[in-house]
Amino acid sequence: MNGRLGGWLRGRLGLDVFTHLAEKKEVPVHKHSFWYYWGGMTLFLFGVQVGTGILLLLYYRASADEAYESVRFIMTQVHFGWLIRSIHSWSANLMVGAAMVHMFSVFLMKGYRAPREATWFSGMALLGLALAFGFSGYLLPWNQLAFFATKVGTDITGDLPLLGPFLKRFLLGGEQITGGTLTRFYGFHVAVLPAITTALLGLHLYLVQFHGMSVPPSVEAAGGPRRSLKFVPEFLLRDSVGWLAALGVLGLLAALFPWELGLKADPYVPAPPGIRPEWYFGWMFQTLRVLPAHVLGFEGEFLGIIAIGLAAAVWLLVPLLDDPLGRDRRARLWTAVGWLAIAYVVILTGLSYR
Amino acid sequence: MRRRSFLDWLVGIFGTALAALVAYPVARFLVPPKIPEATTRRVLAAQPDELAPGAFKIFPFGSRAGILIRDADGGYRALSAECTHLACTVQYRKESHSIWCACHNGVYDVEGRNVSGPPPRPLEKWVVHVTAEGVVVELGARA
Amino acid sequence: MSPRPRRTAPARTLLGLAGLLTLGGFVVAPARAAVDHCQKCHSEQDGKAGEAARKYAADIHARRGIPCSGCHGGDPNDPEPTGMDPGQGFRGVPARAEIVGLCVACHADAARMKRYNPRPYIFSVDEFRTSVHGRRQATDPKVATCISCHGVHDIRPHTDPASPVYAANVPATCAKCHNADYMKGYGIPTNQYSLYVRSVHGQALLEKGDLSAPACNDCHGNHGAAPPGVESISMVCATCHGREGELFAKSKMAEGMKHIPTARGCETCHGNHGVKHPTDAMLSTAAGVGACTGCHEPGSTADRATLFIASGLDTLKWKVAGAESLLAMAELKGMDASLGRERLRAARDQLIGLRAALHAFDGEQITSVLQTGFEHATAAREQGAGALRDWRVRRLGLAAALAVILVLIALLVGRIRALAVARSAPGPPGA
Repeated sequence: MNGRLGGWLRGRLGLDVFTHLAEKKEVPVHKHSFWYYWGGMTLFLFGVQVGTGILLLLYYRASADEAYESVRFIMTQVHFGWLIRSIHSWSANLMVGAAMVHMFSVFLMKGYRAPREATWFSGMALLGLALAFGFSGYLLPWNQLAFFATKVGTDITGDLPLLGPFLKRFLLGGEQITGGTLTRFYGFHVAVLPAITTALLGLHLYLVQFHGMSVPPSVEAAGGPRRSLKFVPEFLLRDSVGWLAALGVLGLLAALFPWELGLKADPYVPAPPGIRPEWYFGWMFQTLRVLPAHVLGFEGEFLGIIAIGLAAAVWLLVPLLDDPLGRDRRARLWTAVGWLAIAYVVILTGLSYR
Repeated sequence: MRRRSFLDWLVGIFGTALAALVAYPVARFLVPPKIPEATTRRVLAAQPDELAPGAFKIFPFGSRAGILIRDADGGYRALSAECTHLACTVQYRKESHSIWCACHNGVYDVEGRNVSGPPPRPLEKWVVHVTAEGVVVELGARA
Repeated sequence: MSPRPRRTAPARTLLGLAGLLTLGGFVVAPARAAVDHCQKCHSEQDGKAGEAARKYAADIHARRGIPCSGCHGGDPNDPEPTGMDPGQGFRGVPARAEIVGLCVACHADAARMKRYNPRPYIFSVDEFRTSVHGRRQATDPKVATCISCHGVHDIRPHTDPASPVYAANVPATCAKCHNADYMKGYGIPTNQYSLYVRSVHGQALLEKGDLSAPACNDCHGNHGAAPPGVESISMVCATCHGREGELFAKSKMAEGMKHIPTARGCETCHGNHGVKHPTDAMLSTAAGVGACTGCHEPGSTADRATLFIASGLDTLKWKVAGAESLLAMAELKGMDASLGRERLRAARDQLIGLRAALHAFDGEQITSVLQTGFEHATAAREQGAGALRDWRVRRLGLAAALAVILVLIALLVGRIRALAVARSAPGPPGA
């Protein structure tokens, strides 16, 4: 940023605004500081997704006749196609995982308190978008696993009250999964969702900069001198260590557990046993599975969907429900709710694998 | 001070190495591979003038086998090479201007019609385009 | 139109009869009539004549313009019963023994048949004589005559699916007589039809509607229907099963069978009317299971040869299956198996070819097919194994990247520590 080129750029692009912001930004240091890295981790993994995704769409074909063959082409003919594809698939999972860690840690640290409610809402929307990315992307290889997992997922969507059938038709582009569904999912995955995500992500990041980093109530209460790190270069260096580690993990996963091609989707054979959606939907899926068929005169699945919907709504609205200062009994209640939620999601996700 | 700049220098070296390790696969990925697209609907079956008139070639078409025949007048025909009897690979017989399956003596004419022996159905006919790169075989309109 | 006098006695009798009829004014030239009054009047009646007259409209003879008088005589132009005039050649219902002569008088006459069809089927009395049906015409009242198979007043061409001699109807037509009841006392097998309908030929023709499958007449002949002679059996089968027949004809097996009266060519191993789809189990050396054990002793040279073929076939099948599973595994993982698939296809060609080639009963030929098959199958397997190896080797490439990343992480951590130290220690003024 120094020298003649730097000066030219600064003058033309008004970069001083950003450099000031960057120099001023500080990150609080306390025993929970570790959790501050997870937003950036999610962002890094999203960047990997965008990069590898753009590379993949140069060769991928979104029609039922050619999708599977084009993925096979990428994996067998395109140089390092197997690597890009495996990284894209693994990083998707890691990104959703990181997003959930980020969300749960923000929840427990009560980072959603005023004035950061909008940050929390936009973050929840981003999580929803990440899940939508995962769901739409999963179908694109058009193999047996993907086809039937999508069928299960859209069937459950169809069971939602009121809007269910309409949503299902909207997603599938018809009554069943066809080539039309694939084209539509592709459109969502590479155009619609990225556009919305860009806007929301921009908002989310701006809000984080604007409000600065929040500090958990316990640290606030402890008082004492507030230690902090400068964002540039100290926090960023630590971020880089994390991102490098993530890159290494991705490489390891792509090498040791490469993503399979599988068998081309055949709508006319019975579904293979043990079909389920991806792990990040596992806890919802398992909840619906363990509910008995009928409860109190209602269909078990219906009640399950309602319950999950209500829980999600409550979770979303927690900034408005919890104590703004984050210290009284209400605050302790919500912390307990947070731990309960984590336990529930983790345990049910694990059970969904049986 | 010296150790710090040595460390910086090392970071620079390894950072560049990592950048190269990332950039190299990406760059190679972007360069189109030898076959530009998956061979689901069309494939380059032969080089221009690879076949003399009267000669034939068995070529792969996706997961299937195809037979490319060059007529005496220089034109090309392409058909599925999998015999409709028990899927043996057929061959072209110049002398009788017919396609023959060695397994059980099945005979087809050059249009693919099963004329003699066990084959119950004709061979699937494909479309041929002669281009500068070579002979391109494409699935028929109804495939 | 007098018969050429070089036939055997019964034939002369037949044709002599036809000549007599001719002289009697019958059957010389079927009178053409503007309106066939016989048919017109009789078709309005009840009873057998009425039925016959009504059916006759669909008959091929009627469609070719031949009136009732063509076989029954009389004057078709006379609308009154006076048309049934013996003076005009009327003879009523012909006797059973007269039927063949009646039909033969036109159908063995090339010049007459050519008027109706430029490529006619000319009935051959010689051929008919080679069959039991032909030889027993004068002596056996139960034997088949023309109308037994072709019908009588609604005769249709054999290409018409309603005809009793349409390919798919032939077995049932033959079985009208060739069954245990009708054939009682003749001392010949009566189970042909029941064997045939369960055979691969019967199922192909009768259940799948495959007209290329043989009916009784394809192997036995039409009018000269006879069980094929010992030598001709293999010729019969080779008509359709050309490759196997060709190989077999040149084999030592065929040569050897000529000296054994009970050996009957293809039929020895495959059966005749009840021929089933051949299976690899036919090569078993277990007594009663394999086809070879019927003649060849255990431990004999032939028995060892059987074992050689059977084990070669099994080995090739096993190699092909092994290559297939390796290639499938590679493909599931997203590795390129197309070269292996090509070799596998070639190996499968050899496997299928082997089942035909063994009819040569020639060790060298069979070995050569097996060797080629083994080569292709092994190459296919190699490609599959190679693809899986490549899949595993990719890990090593990434290990290098991992090493760089780890070093970089260590360096950055070092940098972070250095920054922290610089921060806590008060630096020189102005730093």
